[in-house]
Amino acid sequence: MPRLTFFLRLFLWFSVRHMRRHLGRVLVVLFGIALGAAVFTSVRLSVHASLQSFMRSMDFFAGTAEKVLVRPGGHVPESVMPSLLAHPAVKGFSPLLTTYVRVVPAAGGAFLLVGIDPLLDQPFRAWRLRGARADASERWLDLIREPKTVVLTEPLAREIGTVSGARVTLDHSCSRAEFRVAGILVPEGLALVEGGRVALVDIATFQEFTGLLGVLDRIDIRFKAKTTQKEIEDLAGKLPEELELRSPSAARDSGSAMIRAYQLNLSVLSFASLFVGMFLVYSLVALNAASRRRELAILRALGASPRLLFNLYMAEGALFGLCGWLLAIPLGTLLVKYLLHSVSQTISTLFVRVHVEGLALSPAEVFISFGVTLFVAVAAAFQPAREAMGVAPKEAMEIAHSGAPHRRQAGRLAAWAAGCLIACVPLALMPGLSGVPLPGYIAILLLFVGFSLTAPWILENLGRALAPLLRRLAGMPAYLAARYLRDSGARTSISVGALITAVALFTALVVMIHSFRQTVELWVRQTVSGDLFVTTKLGQVNRFRFPIPEEITARLPALASGADLVPSRRYPLSYGDLPYEFEAMGMEEFLTHGGFVWLKGDAEALRPVLVNGEGLLISEVFAYRTGLGPGDTFRAWIEGSRVELPVAGVIRDYRTDGGVVFYSWRHFKERFHDPGWSGVRFYFRDRGADIEGKTAALREAIISRWGERLDMISGKELREAVLRIFDETFAITTVLLLIALAVAALGITTTLTVLVLERARQLSTLLAVGASFRQVRSMICWEAAFLVAAGEAAGLLCGFILSYLLVFVINRQSFGWTFLYTVDGGALALSVPLIVLTALAAALPAVRKAVGQR
Amino acid sequence: MNPINPINPIRSSPEPLILARGLTRSYAVGDGAVIGINAVDLNIPAGEMVVLKGNSGSGKSTLLALLAGMDRPTGGELTVAGHTLSAPGGVDFTRYRREVVGMVFQSFNLLPTLNVLENVCLPALLAQKPAAAVRAKALELLEWLGLTPRLKHNPAQLSGGEMQRTAIARALINDPALILADEPTGNLDSRNGRIVIDLLAQLNRRSGRTVVVATHSDLADELATVRIRLRDGAIADPPCHG
Repeated sequence: MPRLTFFLRLFLWFSVRHMRRHLGRVLVVLFGIALGAAVFTSVRLSVHASLQSFMRSMDFFAGTAEKVLVRPGGHVPESVMPSLLAHPAVKGFSPLLTTYVRVVPAAGGAFLLVGIDPLLDQPFRAWRLRGARADASERWLDLIREPKTVVLTEPLAREIGTVSGARVTLDHSCSRAEFRVAGILVPEGLALVEGGRVALVDIATFQEFTGLLGVLDRIDIRFKAKTTQKEIEDLAGKLPEELELRSPSAARDSGSAMIRAYQLNLSVLSFASLFVGMFLVYSLVALNAASRRRELAILRALGASPRLLFNLYMAEGALFGLCGWLLAIPLGTLLVKYLLHSVSQTISTLFVRVHVEGLALSPAEVFISFGVTLFVAVAAAFQPAREAMGVAPKEAMEIAHSGAPHRRQAGRLAAWAAGCLIACVPLALMPGLSGVPLPGYIAILLLFVGFSLTAPWILENLGRALAPLLRRLAGMPAYLAARYLRDSGARTSISVGALITAVALFTALVVMIHSFRQTVELWVRQTVSGDLFVTTKLGQVNRFRFPIPEEITARLPALASGADLVPSRRYPLSYGDLPYEFEAMGMEEFLTHGGFVWLKGDAEALRPVLVNGEGLLISEVFAYRTGLGPGDTFRAWIEGSRVELPVAGVIRDYRTDGGVVFYSWRHFKERFHDPGWSGVRFYFRDRGADIEGKTAALREAIISRWGERLDMISGKELREAVLRIFDETFAITTVLLLIALAVAALGITTTLTVLVLERARQLSTLLAVGASFRQVRSMICWEAAFLVAAGEAAGLLCGFILSYLLVFVINRQSFGWTFLYTVDGGALALSVPLIVLTALAAALPAVRKAVGQR
Repeated sequence: MNPINPINPIRSSPEPLILARGLTRSYAVGDGAVIGINAVDLNIPAGEMVVLKGNSGSGKSTLLALLAGMDRPTGGELTVAGHTLSAPGGVDFTRYRREVVGMVFQSFNLLPTLNVLENVCLPALLAQKPAAAVRAKALELLEWLGLTPRLKHNPAQLSGGEMQRTAIARALINDPALILADEPTGNLDSRNGRIVIDLLAQLNRRSGRTVVVATHSDLADELATVRIRLRDGAIADPPCHG
């Protein structure tokens, strides 16, 4: 204890007071590390909130069911219930239907309507009504006794402005009806699903309302005690072939696995900001160690051990980590407000529907955030702390010290660098582990380490090659700068390494985002082509499960005589654990006006195959995750039909994380069954005239006939919305890039200041032998130019390799997709002068210091 | 200066405090070597006031650094207060610097972020002595040296003489057997230089503590009990006593 007290006292005297004297630079570093920690933490917390919400929702929804009976892509017929009832292993079952509905006139967004049998469901899910027990039971029975009754959760009732006993009108894909609110649910169990945005009706009411007579979404089953797997298999064998008995946790597990993978990927991306913060801490601690070398020697002369000095600097790093993390709390609170919504939106769009009410602070997440921030800051202080250990007490006797001894180890480090870079190749070729691109991340780390380690070699050779030339072209200051940097040792190289990292991140992310956007633009232009998209009402939120009524589809073509119609029917299915969409679409019309972005297969050669229904297309994501490719056979049960078709080609698609399969609608109908239309898009044949005007007219015509039953969006609006979501998703990345660059520039500032402080005697000698202040200034500016040039050149090279890894390894292993690799020459060309000017401006404090010291 | 003397007397011992045989320190420079000191023999009993003289580069500071445990010999033997500094692993140098020697530097070497009292306390705290006792002892020393009004001042607020007196207090805080002073008057005017030399002599006379002063100045000559002149890293003349 006395040792700790003494250490804290010394730390306060020696380190904290020094920080107080240089508050400006300390605050900059703190802000840098805090920003990094805030981004990292808020990203993780936001995804965690979505994950928690999803898992809680799924758990409440699954209840006590042991198996779930489903029919892939379709509905389970009620007629199977007697078989369940008769089976000796079945203890109970509960039929279930769900859909998203909204209140009219519009009040709030869509919410989940669950149809249950209130009696059969009792053992499965917890739910009860508010009020006295007897009264609540009475109203609960109303659900069965009285058609068109609904019970709501309290938040939902509040949102739509209704109370128990009042009437509300609900709007669904297929119909609209008025319901009496029979009661308000107590906030527990089922009432907590989807953040409380849920309503219950009796299953018969549900079927009548949605038109799904005689069918169910699923049947939850409980078995008697000691039921064996064999008995369950026996039950499965007695059920129709197209029905599946699944684990109730299957959907939860696959959904949460996808969210967790997404969390890891975002964490790694956001870690980039902490990584640059690490360089910032390094720069300042190194500056403190270099500028206080004499004080360290005095401490050693007075009896301080090397370990004590090491601990002082490690504690300095820890203090930065601790204070940075504390400062990150308010910053993160601001950031998380923005991220919470956008992250849950992205998860809902890409993976599974989540509804996040607020942030759930998880002790594990807080610990991870604190631990990572602290580790990063302490790791950054390690090298300067080791250098502090090496200060000899004898330096205290010197009148002026000549600086840290420089180590010449460029060759050895370059050999290590080569090793790291070579190791990237096999790692990049390795598959991800459970959807996590761990080998890819290690390859990226090795790439950064490798390039940073080449910095001394680059500086040494750049200095050697350029010094004579510069003497002739730019005089002695440039020559001296080149010579000095040639021999400047590890410290300079580490700062150049930081710049390499920042430039590489900038380059790679610019290339990746540009490639992604260009590809998505192409995909949107071709695959999301069309002038007007029409779906059933709430079609998107209900995942297009409900077809447009036939009375409408029969009359739609007549409304648009100058347009071609491409009908489609989407089925949400699962391939093993992989959720994906099967889309039957009007292939011939679609290929006439739009097209796919092809990855494998010849578009022209395969056109007749697709139009004639002889094969189907799978998306890149589906191909990567299932291992299927051209020539393989795709197999699935869809609404009771056994679909077996050859895979003709692979195309790019960015609609969902799970992948898509496309097949001809006409041939699906001929070969299997009539799938109906869950959506239709219109293409005007005459492209020369006023397309927007014609689209608006068609829209008006549809609204005037079936406006309340259909949702519509013009192709132009849809494409703009897709690209807007893309740009919003990457806005935070752009901010991270700018922070990384600012941090790198700050690193150059501190490096140059350290260099000036370390060779005070050399600079004095230069002045003493006749150099002017102007020449010393010029020399330092040349040094900055060298550092920046070396960092920029190596950073660009590293960035292009990194971009390749991001596009073809990390994205593929994380999301299953890749992009067409394109380089945004304009953005990169703009970045070069930006980085050069920023870094040269960073030389100014060092110049002031050099002149001021004299 | 306050007449109170808080310095604990040192018990005399028949053993020599400093014993050197063929003491050598050379430095590798490029392919060759530069001699700091070469084959120096010393036998200094406890309680002496030793003045090391010589031109720049004669080896005074090198010898002092070896005696202070800040540097290690490359040849010969060196024993100080029973500690063998020449044998590899023979002594814990950190502990030796804390407990055996007190060092006074030419450029004072006070830590700029610590005030006078804290600078003085530092070596004792490094030696893990109880903080309260250390503070009491430091206050006594500072009172003796006339620095009580300056306790809370930072080094930048002190005059050269005050800084060197603070450094002397710091050198004494652990009651070391040996006080080493490297050009203690080098950065002082003659009046303050005189005060500092007188203080070192007082320390030597009143407490029997061995003091070694390396200096160009003649101020200490008359107070020295042993005078050693170094030239080109070697002892120029036999040590002169009295």
